[in-house]
Amino acid sequence: MTHRIGRLMLLLSVVAGTVSAIAAREAPPANPTESQAVEAFQLHVKEYVALHEKLEATLPHLARKHTPEQLVAHQHALGDLIKEARKDSKPGEFFTPGIKVLVKRILGVVVAGPDGKTVKASIMDENPGLPSLVINERYPASIPLSTMPPQVLKPLPELHGELEYRFIGRRLILLDTEADIILDFTDDILPQ
Amino acid sequence: MKFRRRFIAGWLVFLLFAACYASGPAISARPAAAEEAAKTAAEQAASGQDVALPNQSGSLKFTVLGDFGTGEKPEYELAAQMAKFYAGFKFEFVITVGDNLYGPERPQDFKLKFEDPYKELLDAGVPFYASLGNHDARAQRDYKLFNLGGKLYYSFKAPKEKVRFFLLDSTYPVPEQIDWLEKELKGSSEDWKIAVFHHPPYSSGGRHGSDLKLRETLEPLFIKYNVSVVFNGHDHFYERIKPQHDIVYFVTGSGGQLAVGDIDRNSNITAKGFDTDQAFMAVEISGDKMYYNAISRTGQVVDSGIITHRIPQ
Repeated sequence: MTHRIGRLMLLLSVVAGTVSAIAAREAPPANPTESQAVEAFQLHVKEYVALHEKLEATLPHLARKHTPEQLVAHQHALGDLIKEARKDSKPGEFFTPGIKVLVKRILGVVVAGPDGKTVKASIMDENPGLPSLVINERYPASIPLSTMPPQVLKPLPELHGELEYRFIGRRLILLDTEADIILDFTDDILPQ
Repeated sequence: MKFRRRFIAGWLVFLLFAACYASGPAISARPAAAEEAAKTAAEQAASGQDVALPNQSGSLKFTVLGDFGTGEKPEYELAAQMAKFYAGFKFEFVITVGDNLYGPERPQDFKLKFEDPYKELLDAGVPFYASLGNHDARAQRDYKLFNLGGKLYYSFKAPKEKVRFFLLDSTYPVPEQIDWLEKELKGSSEDWKIAVFHHPPYSSGGRHGSDLKLRETLEPLFIKYNVSVVFNGHDHFYERIKPQHDIVYFVTGSGGQLAVGDIDRNSNITAKGFDTDQAFMAVEISGDKMYYNAISRTGQVVDSGIITHRIPQ
């Protein structure tokens, strides 16, 4: 009888361990403070997407059979409008201290997991980094886009519109892919 | 009496042997043909047969190109080889596995790295269907000649044969994309399901190699929904991977770039590798057969074979 109870306890602890390991992999907001940070982040993303759409609507539509010149001109014009509208932006506008804590925790869990090495290798593949980054500047043409493994993208707060997360070195950036503008970045977010 | 019985038994044994001998080839031919027909895509591709493209009328013909947009001489020379090849093999379109433009993407770069080298094909009306690599700015989705239609991932049905292509964005595999892929694969009734994306789930490259996290995410879907062939790039060489779960993976990342000697000679997944010159692939699908040739910058066929599509279980 004692053995049976012991086995049952062992089984339950294994199941509980597995469930918590899965939960840790997904790494949702752990507490109300993180939940609030995510809510605020997503609201800010929504507001930005609205701004992007509003500004883009002021530009002439791309012709159906546009040339590369027209395509690039459209992108630059949109980028200029966004820069002007966000001229007072500072680092940390999206990646607030609360979001940084959450992202750091998520990445910590993923990188410390059994596949951490391969996840990190994917991110750092052809990703030399840059000494410095500037908000509202265009994504540097000389730097390839980092790969974002599905295991990293899944637990990060969802984005909308043309926004993407990318890494430049160990920094996480928020990129407007249509305007090709870096909206925000955080330093040293990916564990060593 | 005993002798008579033995005589009859002896005759019967002789007749049986004689019958077997006479019909021998026919008997053994049947199982061989059945075995051949029952050979999986994996077994056939693994055989690495020396196969010429049949160039049949009515078949689907296309080429596959990757990691090409350098604007440098080797890209132009391979492009010239493709154009030369087109004269005798009228492929319907070109599929790209990404890294379509390296470095800056100014208007002049579109011309130098794409429109000029492939002018002959573009002028002949050959469309390019692109997927994006890690060197490609996302704005390429709106570039008309890449036919992404404003999307980062998409699928299209080939104009001939029962073939559907699924072009994915492997640099940013968000959950929505994976959900989309599953729905598309599930809803596809085509015999041939072909996935195209930049990062290779299998590769023997020393510089990059297999993307294990992507493999973990995509391979179960490929297995479940009968994807037969996968085209990738990223590593700068040509490699045909030994069939994995009956799926044939190709790395075709030497359309302009080249990493000489980068294929790990001790890799146990390489079926055929070529890392000494640029290459593209020419493919022909006719019914349940896919014929492929990998062709170098000098026009040499460096690999060829036949694949049969997977059959739903």
